[in-house]
Amino acid sequence: MKLMKKHSIEAMLAWRNVWKNKRRTILTLLTIMVGCAMIIFFRATQDGSYEKMIDDSIAANTSHIQIHEKGFQENMSIDYAFAPDEYPSIISFLQKSPAVLATSKRIHAGGLISHGNNTFVVLIQAVDPVQEQKISNLHTTVQPGGRYLTPDDRKKIIMGATLAKNLNVTTGDTVSMISQGFDGSFAAANVEIAGIFRTRNPRYDQAMVLMPIAQAIETFTMGDYVSSIAVSLKHTSDMETVRDQLRGLPESKGLEIMGWDELIPELIQAIVMDKLFGYIFYFILILITAFGVLNTIQMSVFERTRELGIMMSIGTKPSQIVIMVMMESVYISLLGVLLGILIGSGISYYFFLHPFDFSEYQKEMEVFAQVTTVFPAKLTLNNVSVTAFFTFLAGVLFSIAPARRAAKLNPLKAIRQL
Amino acid sequence: MAIISINNLVKNYDGEGLEVQALRGVDLTVERGEFTAIAGPSGSGKTTLLNLIGGLDQPTAGNLTVAGKELNNMSARELSDMRLHNIGFIFQAYNLIPVLTALENVEYILLLQGVDKAERRRRSTEILKEVGLAKEINRRPKELSGGQQQRVAVARAIVSEPELVLADEPTANLDQKTGSGLLDLMHDLNHRKNITFLFSTHDRMVMDYAERLIRLTDGSIISDERKKSSRESGERKKSGSRKSKK
Ligand SMILES: Nc1ncnc2c1ncn2[C@@H]1O[C@H](COP(=O)(O)OP(=O)(O)OP(=O)(O)O)[C@@H](O)[C@H]1O
Ligand SMILES: [Mg+2]
Repeated sequence: MKLMKKHSIEAMLAWRNVWKNKRRTILTLLTIMVGCAMIIFFRATQDGSYEKMIDDSIAANTSHIQIHEKGFQENMSIDYAFAPDEYPSIISFLQKSPAVLATSKRIHAGGLISHGNNTFVVLIQAVDPVQEQKISNLHTTVQPGGRYLTPDDRKKIIMGATLAKNLNVTTGDTVSMISQGFDGSFAAANVEIAGIFRTRNPRYDQAMVLMPIAQAIETFTMGDYVSSIAVSLKHTSDMETVRDQLRGLPESKGLEIMGWDELIPELIQAIVMDKLFGYIFYFILILITAFGVLNTIQMSVFERTRELGIMMSIGTKPSQIVIMVMMESVYISLLGVLLGILIGSGISYYFFLHPFDFSEYQKEMEVFAQVTTVFPAKLTLNNVSVTAFFTFLAGVLFSIAPARRAAKLNPLKAIRQL
Repeated sequence: MAIISINNLVKNYDGEGLEVQALRGVDLTVERGEFTAIAGPSGSGKTTLLNLIGGLDQPTAGNLTVAGKELNNMSARELSDMRLHNIGFIFQAYNLIPVLTALENVEYILLLQGVDKAERRRRSTEILKEVGLAKEINRRPKELSGGQQQRVAVARAIVSEPELVLADEPTANLDQKTGSGLLDLMHDLNHRKNITFLFSTHDRMVMDYAERLIRLTDGSIISDERKKSSRESGERKKSGSRKSKK
């Protein structure tokens, strides 16, 4: 407060000088506004699509947390299995934790599936048909004519639409399935197709087969063993907390407890790369706005050379000149950033309410393994505050040079300029 | 004690290649309360001399004492403080800060000096009244005539009651009548407040106003005369200008 009072004259002069050349100031404000709004909006679309893509993946099959025997994720083989009954504290934690929505036991195995002359490598995922529907939305993608699995199903499977097409089969057909049992034995069975699902995720649609876990226990001689427990939470944001709590349990020693970020590393990596390019782009945008501020301050100082000379001649200190010039950029940057926040947030909010919808181009997007076709924008406080802060900071930092140059003017030489 | 005392002052400018000797050993003493004009043709060194006295430039050689301070040994900061507290400046034209009103321009000096707001307002308003700008106090420089702007500059120069006012051709951009009005004003302030005025000019009319006239040629003082009649002439013209203002 005292400081403000002490420098009130610099602040007042700065404010008036800012508005002396309205046109230039408004142009500069618009530059900052556009830059800042663009960053906020682009970041909002990024944040929104990342979240949507992650959510879609979680909902499709990944779930929030998976519990495996150590080594499963790396090897993806039936050899890595554990008996849930041997981990009572983990099971009871999952039952009691208010953050947990549902859990589902799964058995994963690799196998071959043939029909006629066609044979394909598949990922067999055995599930509890009741529990699985609570944690995944795969059952909603079963195509008309077929159905999802039921607990009573035996020798029944459902499979991805692309796989069915490749095998040239449809609902009701019987195919033969070959795999290896948990005990190393040869496992083979003829199974009937109860339904065909179409998740739009090519990995699932091309190669995934779902069967009831009761059947798998028989076929693969699993006994009480399962490959994983998939855990669905009420809120995605609770994942880290719950994961840490699980990892904190002594029984978790021989298990790997993985959050969705570790389960879908390809997606996370793609997001990291995308973010990186985003940052480079934002950096350039911020540089452009900062140069706008620099240019304006430079011009305004240049035009006032004589005035500054007079001010210094009559006793204004160089430090006061620096403060005055810096205040001009503070005002311009601050106003520009405020406008940018307003516009950027407004546009982001619009695209939150009306997401980008690429469903029409679903076919094309599937080629790029892109399941998500609807991208809402998501405005976060972090986005707005970080963007505003750096845009503002860059503008102010870039005016240090012209401010110092103004303060170093030789008053005599300055006065001679007209 | 003299307010300005100058001893063998030399100022050389090194232009490209050749050195310009702007002042070639000037000796000068100005007493408190004097109303002095420095006259001389263009390039004779008037501005150079005033700038050195005001601490805006450093001499090549010689001693310079202003308001009891040896300028030779002062830092930039001390010189800046001296300009703020001891000296008022009036330049030829465009003296004022464009974004400030007449009142604020005058207040600016007091603000820099740390005078509180009420006092600042009171003194600045009063001074502006004295220079005949009671109605114009809230106008910005560009809404004032050249003569009015120079009056504001005078008001700003004297508002903090400095010991010395330096004015480099203060009337050069004004017409005869406006110029003489400004001189009346300065002369009047000189009498009433005992502020020392030192101004440069190459205008005959202005020289006639001065109580003391120093002639400068080629960087040397060639004559220095105190005149008796100047005061009366000043009074006479002042009353004339008062009338013309209405
Ligand atoms: N910064 C400078 N660099 C080089 N030479 C200078 C500089 N300032 C003044 N001079 C020279 O010094 C001499 C004195 O200049 P000064 O400005 O003091 O004259 P003046 O009497 O004020 O003239 P005028 O009546 O035209 O204002 C001139 O020859 C001028 O060319
Ligand atoms: Mg001159």
